[in-house]
This record gives sequence, C-alpha cells and structure tokens, in this order.
Amino acid sequence: MIDRQSSGSEGEPDAGTPRWVRVSAIVGGVLVLLLLGLLLFGGGQHGPGRHMSAGGELVSQGQPWR
Amino acid sequence: MKPGLRRAALTAHIAFSVGWLGAVVVFLVQAVLAATGRDDRLAQAVFLMMEPTAWFVLVPLSLASLVTGIVSALGTTWGLWRHYWVVLKLLLNLVATVVLLLYTRTINLTSAAARTSSGAELRALGLSPLIHAGGAFVVLLVALAIAVYKPQGRTRYGRRKLRPDHFMTVCHKVGGKPA
Repeated sequence: MIDRQSSGSEGEPDAGTPRWVRVSAIVGGVLVLLLLGLLLFGGGQHGPGRHMSAGGELVSQGQPWR
Repeated sequence: MKPGLRRAALTAHIAFSVGWLGAVVVFLVQAVLAATGRDDRLAQAVFLMMEPTAWFVLVPLSLASLVTGIVSALGTTWGLWRHYWVVLKLLLNLVATVVLLLYTRTINLTSAAARTSSGAELRALGLSPLIHAGGAFVVLLVALAIAVYKPQGRTRYGRRKLRPDHFMTVCHKVGGKPA
C-alpha cells in the first residue's frame, strides 16, 4: 500500500461503482465458478485429500529440518 | 496515526509483501524444477525444502503482510472500507493467505510422499505446487499493481464519510454536543 495521502485523492469524483470494480467482480465471479466446477466435477481430484493414500493418511517420515 | 509511525507501518508492509512475492517466485522455480527436472535426487531435495519454506518463510510473510496492511489502512485516511482498491487488495491478501494456510497440509504430505517416490511418480507430485505457486504469483502481482496504481472509486461507506452532514456530525461529537 503506497502512501498517497497528500496527493489530493480526497477530491476525486465519485459517482456510483467504477467500471473497473464491476469488471473485477465479474472476473472474480467467473474464477470462483470455475474453481467450484473443478471441485464438483473434477472427481474430487483437488485438495489435500488427493495426497493421501486410499487407506488413510500418508505416514510422515519425520522432518529433518526440525 | 503519527506520520513517523505511519511510514514505519507502510515500510514494514511493503517489505513483507515484496518478500512474500519473492518467496513465491522461489517456490515457483522449485516447483518447476521438481515437476520437469530429470534428477530424482534434486526433485526430492526440492520437495523436502518446500515444507520448511512454507512454514518458515511463506506463512510468516503472508500473515505479516496482512496485519501490516490492515494497520496501514486503518492508520491513514485511506481507511479499510472507504476505497474499492483497498477492499479488493485486502480481499486478495486474505484469499491468498487462507489458501496458503490450507495448502500447507498438502505440502507436508507431498514432502513425505516424495521421500519414497521416484521417476514419473515423483514428477507428478510437482504439478500441484506448480499450479498453486503460479496462482499465488498472479494474485500477488495483481495486488502489487493495485497498490501502485490505486484505481479511483469510493465505496458507499466511503462516499457517506465524505458528505457534509457526516462532517458536521463528527464536528458535533468532537465538540461534545449531541449530533
């Protein structure tokens, strides 16, 4: 967050929601829908669960960096 | 917030945020090496390094960036909910931090799985870190661009704060009179 407090931003014209906010909201919504679609129709292939073995959690081999 | 303190908070926020972006780039390069390299030992070493990198670099930097960002916003006239760009940047930071915290579990399990894997199986483990690090890089780059360009636009709350009647209310409150 770069400081621009003294650049006169308080006097900017503000009427309604700017176009860039609407475009960002649409892009964000599409991305969320895509992600949900992947989660729902991807056969559960996304997320931490896919790194577990069928019989349960994968057994940790220890953490040598500790 | 006093000017000196405000600048200190801003400096910390920039340092933590840029550090986070840099760490994500390193993580991304590690993921590319793990997913595409031909050397199994190198790939295993990379997977083993991902776990401490996530816990000791990525997670602390993400949390520090989030906290200092909120402090910087609240300590200045930008506020946290007055401008769309601040709200959007907070949202991106929050999403990136939450996804990272959830993903640490996968990183732990991937590191453990890499110890006993080799060849194509080992390469396949690198795909998930590659996708997540790539996504994190894009999100942080967008957040950085937003912070630099500061696109105009006030939220409804921000516009209300600008109204003369709100200003008068604040003046009355400061003077101890009923609004």
